[in-house]
Amino acid sequence: MRRPDWAPDEIDIERPSVARMYDYYLGGSHNFAVDRAAAQAMVAAVPEAPLMAQANRAFLRRAVHFLADAGVRQFLDIGSGIPTVGNVHEIVQQVAPDSRVVYVDTDPVAVAHSQEILADNDQATVIQEDLRHPDRILRHPELRRLLNLNEPTAVLIVAVLHFVPDDDRPAELLRTLYDALTPGSWLVLSQASDEGRAETERSDAEMVYQRTGSPLWFRNRSELTTLFDGFELVEPGVVWVPQWRPETPESSVNAETSGFLGGVGRIGD
Amino acid sequence: MTSPATATQPSGANSGIAAFTQEWANALTGTSYLPMTQAQLKQLLNRLARQLAGALLAEPFDLRAGQRVGTELVAAHIASAEALGRTVEVVQLRLVRDLGLVAEDVADRLARLLAAVTTGYTRALRDRTLDEQESIRRAAMAQRSKAEEALRASEARFRHQATHDALTDLPNRNLFTERLTTALAAPRRDTDRVGLCFLDLDQFKRVNDQHGHQAGDRVLTEVANRLRQALTGHLVARLGGDAFVILIERTGGTRDVIAVAEAALAAVHEPAAVAGHEVTVRTSIGIVERQVAGTSANELMRAADCTLHWAKAAGGGRWMLYDAERDRRELTRQALTAAIPAGLDRGEFYLDYQPLASLSDGRLLGVEALVRWRHPELGVLRPDRFIGLAEETGLIVPLGGWVLAEACRAAGSWSVTGGTPFVSVNLAVRQVHRPDLVQDVRNILERTGLPPERLQLEITESAMMNPADEPVRALRRLADLGVRIAIDDFGTGYSNLAYLRDLPVTELKVAGEFVAGLRAQEPQADERIVASLVSLAHALDLTVTAEGVETAGQAERLRAIGCDAGQGWHFGRPEPADRILARLS
Ligand SMILES: C[S@@+](CC[C@H](N)C(=O)[O-])C[C@H]1O[C@@H](n2cnc3c(N)ncnc32)[C@H](O)[C@@H]1O
Repeated sequence: MRRPDWAPDEIDIERPSVARMYDYYLGGSHNFAVDRAAAQAMVAAVPEAPLMAQANRAFLRRAVHFLADAGVRQFLDIGSGIPTVGNVHEIVQQVAPDSRVVYVDTDPVAVAHSQEILADNDQATVIQEDLRHPDRILRHPELRRLLNLNEPTAVLIVAVLHFVPDDDRPAELLRTLYDALTPGSWLVLSQASDEGRAETERSDAEMVYQRTGSPLWFRNRSELTTLFDGFELVEPGVVWVPQWRPETPESSVNAETSGFLGGVGRIGD
Repeated sequence: MTSPATATQPSGANSGIAAFTQEWANALTGTSYLPMTQAQLKQLLNRLARQLAGALLAEPFDLRAGQRVGTELVAAHIASAEALGRTVEVVQLRLVRDLGLVAEDVADRLARLLAAVTTGYTRALRDRTLDEQESIRRAAMAQRSKAEEALRASEARFRHQATHDALTDLPNRNLFTERLTTALAAPRRDTDRVGLCFLDLDQFKRVNDQHGHQAGDRVLTEVANRLRQALTGHLVARLGGDAFVILIERTGGTRDVIAVAEAALAAVHEPAAVAGHEVTVRTSIGIVERQVAGTSANELMRAADCTLHWAKAAGGGRWMLYDAERDRRELTRQALTAAIPAGLDRGEFYLDYQPLASLSDGRLLGVEALVRWRHPELGVLRPDRFIGLAEETGLIVPLGGWVLAEACRAAGSWSVTGGTPFVSVNLAVRQVHRPDLVQDVRNILERTGLPPERLQLEITESAMMNPADEPVRALRRLADLGVRIAIDDFGTGYSNLAYLRDLPVTELKVAGEFVAGLRAQEPQADERIVASLVSLAHALDLTVTAEGVETAGQAERLRAIGCDAGQGWHFGRPEPADRILARLS
């Protein structure tokens, strides 16, 4: 008998999770032996992997600061991961306590962990859903409860798109999100790129992630730029993430070693 | 330590501290993710550097300050082995120098301060690691139990769906079969009894046809609800379509199950409002009730189902109780019916012939062909065992066709000096109604060379109800060919004398029951009936054959009445043609 789609997922903690591997790269301890083993294999393949994750996370922080400063008060963070440190709600609620954040992730443990962290925060919530079902995300009652999409909202899809191959039609997914947003809304994207990487590094990294059940799908600068369709990219456009509005000039040297491209776009009025 | 604090902090320390802080910040870069801006980081490190410097010079020397710095670093997420190593290195190499600290025992103090920082840091890092491990494990557990709960719920839902009918939410056939099997497999006592009511709505199709399928579905739901309410304590299941079943466990006897059936009938027979109309639904129920020991689910289901059909055949709107004797009879009949085609193929059928004799001179006029079945298990069967079945199922057409062909074939080969007898063959109603009857007879006669006037077809009155009908026209064409047409069993059916005038009939065969009433010397009603039949037939130019003539006395009476011919034991029993022919020569 085929499992109907309301049947729950298999319980699967024996397999490395990209969310917990990412936590490991960032120096967190929200991970299990399987995750550490996989992350260490990644580090063996690409020694600067932890630095790449840190650079991406720092990009997320700067982008969210930028948006909070621009007056955005609603955030939809898709592929939010394990709340380690520097979570979106922590950043924005520092700037404006009335900011509202909806986290979305497919990883059930990440979601359970987020629920625990957010238990006392009625301005932030988490939904277990897949980026590949934007319609379900958009009509989710929790989202509807916290966000009013008639007001400017920032959608963050940071370090997630490389888990969405072209077969899953990322452009259409983003189009659906775009259609739900009002002018003055924002999109933040970042994702792994193999531009300038050695072929061996690339294939070793792919092998590690193949085992997680979330294989990698690299994109180059022009591919990522295309995904901003409908949004006006703010300066400096799609760049290696350390180059995106760096805090100090020296923090963007050797930016291409970050392996992550990112950018921020806005729907014009 | 009693050494006095002779250390001083020279002016220009501020620029020194800035340099140190910058160095420290650089050293920390990339050790782990730092959730703050460079400015925030420097601010923090600046403060901690001051604390360290203060601690180095403080009097009395207080190690707790070092531990606090270690703890604060970890609290600010500067929390990795690398961050500690680099911190120790930077402090060791740069703090005293950058800040220009001068103290007698500064090296000594620095070593102990760094030990305190390391202790505080490591302890905090360990606590933090343990906390994070605990929280992620808790999340995993929460997720796991949520998933398990969802799995259980979905399994329960799965199970419910697999065991219940989607429309009425009654248990479905699966669950019913499961429960019945359990009831049969594990009786509480050897004497436990079990009952089933099979229930099927009467003419449910008509509700669907007249009011649409939605209305039909509403009727089914309504019926399901009523049964559920009326029969609490018993399993009511929907088997599919408009068929329901009630399982009655541990019954005290047939009466209990009949009571359930009556309750079910009463509940269903209440009028229901459907699509704005008041619809009265009726139902039939087949009941079976017996001891658990020695029965099986299949047997019970079959028995209940078959009883349901009896109730339907009896007009519906009622319950009926299983009758094993009737079931056996029907099964035998069914088996027999099913064996007819193969019997034909294998040549198990054969013909005997019974003489029809002239009453005036005893001459053999003809013979009636009578079919026999030499059944491989049951022995020789007479037509009353199987002709009825063959007529019901339509198998009479091939069987009767075979009889006709075989009789003609046989009769075509007879030759008797002084008059070869004709052969009389029974035609069933269905045969008479076949459009190619005339052509078939013609072909047979041609093939066998039997002259038409030596063939007589016996039909019943009911085959010729309406003179305008196609069958009558067919018979007329056969009569025109020269074939004799006899009405069989005359007097037992409609006996509509008027139509005889218009029909192509040559002979009446008077049913044996009238003949049985003929007794010598005392004229009875039967005799008067036969007498008037004869005179009527003669008036219409028909001959009359009396059937069932058993005694010489009866033959005598019939001759006296003027009857033309007789058939019966008195003239000869049915037997193979060659014996009859042998006697003639
Ligand atoms: C590398 S982490 C990124 C976390 C955070 N956005 C950041 O950049 O710091 C990627 C997260 O995306 C989640 N993810 C992967 N594929 C996803 C999908 N199709 N829909 C939603 N989340 C997904 C993973 O479970 C993981 O938690």
